[in-house]
Amino acid sequence: MGAVAVKLELGDIQGLFARGYGDLKAAAFLLLGIEDAVAARRWLSEIAGAVTSAEARPAGHALNVAFTSSGLARIGLPADAFEMFSNEFVTGMTTPHRSRILGDLDGNAPERWEWGGPSGPQIDLALLLYALDDAGLQRLEEEQTGRLTAGGLVLRLRLGTSDLDDFEPFGFRDGISQPFVEGLSKTGPAERTVRAGEFVLGYPNEYGLYTDRPLLDANDDPASMLPRDPQGSGCADLGRNGSYLVFRQLQQDVPDFWRYVDGATRGPDGTSDPHARVRLAAKMVGRWPGGAPLALTPDADDPALADANDFAYHELDPRGARCPVGSHVRRSHPRDSLDPRPGTGDSWEINRRHRILRRGREYGTSLTIDEALAGGDTSERGLNFICLNANIQRQFEFISHTWLNNPKFDRLYDDADPVTAPSAPFGGTFTIPTDGVRERVTNVPRFVSVKGGAYFFLPGLVALRYLAGMTGEPGNSSSPVGS
Amino acid sequence: MPYQRSLTIVAPVREGAENEVEALLAGMGDGVANGSVIDFGAVEDVHFARLMMAPADTGRSGARLPASLILLSDFDGPVDAYLDRLVTTAGRGIDRVFGACAGYPDAEPSERQRLDYLRRHRVREAARYVNTSGRTVQQIRQESELRNAINRYLDDVGRDWHGLDPGAVRRAVRKVVADDPELAWVLEPAERPGLGARVKEKAHLVAIPLLTLPFVPLLLLVLPFLAVLLRVHEKRDPAPHEKPNEELVQMLASLEDHVVQNPFTAIGHIKPSLFRRITIRVILFYLDYAARHFFNRGNLSGVKTIHFARWVFIDEKQRMFFASNYDGSLESYMDDFIDKVAWGLNLVFSNGVGYPRTSWLVRGGAKDELAFKDYLRMHQVPTRVWYSAYERLTALNIEQNESIRAGLRVTRGGGDESKWVQSL
Repeated sequence: MGAVAVKLELGDIQGLFARGYGDLKAAAFLLLGIEDAVAARRWLSEIAGAVTSAEARPAGHALNVAFTSSGLARIGLPADAFEMFSNEFVTGMTTPHRSRILGDLDGNAPERWEWGGPSGPQIDLALLLYALDDAGLQRLEEEQTGRLTAGGLVLRLRLGTSDLDDFEPFGFRDGISQPFVEGLSKTGPAERTVRAGEFVLGYPNEYGLYTDRPLLDANDDPASMLPRDPQGSGCADLGRNGSYLVFRQLQQDVPDFWRYVDGATRGPDGTSDPHARVRLAAKMVGRWPGGAPLALTPDADDPALADANDFAYHELDPRGARCPVGSHVRRSHPRDSLDPRPGTGDSWEINRRHRILRRGREYGTSLTIDEALAGGDTSERGLNFICLNANIQRQFEFISHTWLNNPKFDRLYDDADPVTAPSAPFGGTFTIPTDGVRERVTNVPRFVSVKGGAYFFLPGLVALRYLAGMTGEPGNSSSPVGS
Repeated sequence: MPYQRSLTIVAPVREGAENEVEALLAGMGDGVANGSVIDFGAVEDVHFARLMMAPADTGRSGARLPASLILLSDFDGPVDAYLDRLVTTAGRGIDRVFGACAGYPDAEPSERQRLDYLRRHRVREAARYVNTSGRTVQQIRQESELRNAINRYLDDVGRDWHGLDPGAVRRAVRKVVADDPELAWVLEPAERPGLGARVKEKAHLVAIPLLTLPFVPLLLLVLPFLAVLLRVHEKRDPAPHEKPNEELVQMLASLEDHVVQNPFTAIGHIKPSLFRRITIRVILFYLDYAARHFFNRGNLSGVKTIHFARWVFIDEKQRMFFASNYDGSLESYMDDFIDKVAWGLNLVFSNGVGYPRTSWLVRGGAKDELAFKDYLRMHQVPTRVWYSAYERLTALNIEQNESIRAGLRVTRGGGDESKWVQSL
């Protein structure tokens, strides 16, 4: 990617694209169903003005809104408008094939989910609420939930979040590595700066092309509310400044994780080895608990490197003797380490085609390693994983399947992601390259389970108003396919 | 052991029997063969096999092109021996599968009749790609077992490898292998194609350029003319961007990603102009030559995930299909194509109807990411019955296993010992 020239319409893009609202420490995600399309459109027109844009950092609170494909159908978007939405969005996260590639099998199958699966409640909308503190969140939430009934909406599920101070529940500093996005104020090295069209529709992507997005016949937008297709088709661009939002509620079994790591590192006499324990966990993650990357500091955590993110693998660590090839951070963002020519711009170029903007929030309380090992705390904790991307198949799903869940990632044999991936039907080995004979652990269990999930569309603000102004009959099916 | 060979059988399905064939195939597997009707695993020395049906279509003159039942297989050793094994192992299965095809003998055919039918419907591939020339199924399986055995030994509790010099590690592993009668084969070199077969390959390597050479001056002379002709075609050929519907994508995807590898098959019409019809034949001829002699060590111009591939003309060269066995998901396969070998795909497939627009034969085309991905989905044929002899090994795994074995056979020490130990 070359010069940064694109001009983003930040005032029309929802704020979650530009920032994760890090200083708004309290957040809750309301999953809603639409009962009455006409009332829901009225509701949407009322709140559209309150939806936070990407223009400026919000002061006290933020609100974003996203639709599932059933939500768009139920609020009245005509069936033919779905043809140009991404296939993944329209058919949803729970097709049998998608369950295979996302590893949502057996106990994690959509049939067992609390939401988003075939037996769960119908989810049409997600209302994402952020505030400075719990009191602020409560006020915002009361205000919003108070409007639901009149808005023809019903609250299906409230997903709370907790502020673990930038640590994820296993005890590792999280959220350090994010792509730099062309057109946003934060700039970085060219090889890690990704074209805006990878995350927001209506702008050129990493191939220099426009990703498919919903284009409507100009007659469907007689008032010319929507911008026209920049490619000159004359169509009204419902997708412009929108994005696809992937939501996965991931429960993390923290006691199980530390018990496994503890058991695998005990000395010959059966006693725990706290140093070896943390080392193995860090090898699995690819960063030390404090955040320092193993590629830069392979032998011990280093607080000075807690935020370090400006590094590559090939020259420092081609075989993974520092940061194992199978570790979570290396395989979720391989930087310059993959074919065709590791260590070159060609490798970075391919890397840039498989990035996501992570916008998730933790939930539940934190546990120290000792607390985790002591057992007794069986409360639920994990990550409300949220990410934005323009092409779900090439970004979120590719990363999940080809990199994380793939036991064959980058020449491995049987090593799926040791932290996040299912280790069945195979892939439960974790190999730690050394200068001599590799170390490895086998039968790594699954520590992360899926409680729910869905693909959402995060429209631009004008598109929200367009949806609010529609007059068509609502589609009744749970999915617009075939309707 | 001779080189890997391949078999392509294309038999016209009797009009009206298409649904019957689809239903039979669907019962034989949902993307991975379940061994019913024909058990390819029981036919020895088979790398891959598949059965599918190319849909009926309309030809250039408006005539009906019948649906075709297609059987593909890659195996070690001569084609005739493979056909014999297939008919001996799965005679009744062959009857059931091909029973709905035009001209298949009624009642209870003899083995002779079955063989004759298959031979009559054998089609020569226009081009083939083999990941690594001369590597047999037996070798792949044995070397995978070897790696597992070595790793079990290294994992043996109570053994501490820390600080041991690599030479000592390799000696220890070699001793274990040498002492295990099950692994006695390891220290022998892998079987290679015989001298005669290798000489024949070399002769082919030299003969094609020699035969081509006299035409080069002529070619140079007409090159400007051809270039203009090419550009005229590229500008004029329609390149509609058709999107597959959700049902089609879901049906195709339901057959994918059950194991580490996947089959891919796509079929399409060759563009009707004489220029395109000649171009694709010339290109496939030289593609076959290049794949046979140069891209035969695990790397098809940067793509290292393809085990076998073939390009085959059917319906009197009005249609062509491409079939491959590859590692990973279709999404990663298509991304590999676009990122690493778009020019190569353009060379071949831009001569097919509906392909995204190219310029100068190699540019554009597959680089139009979504148009290209949609084109592939629109032309894909569902591979209902697919067999792999080593469905949990990637091409890179196989290559690594081969080098582990090769490294174990080296008896002298040296810098390689350290590399070898690190590769385990």
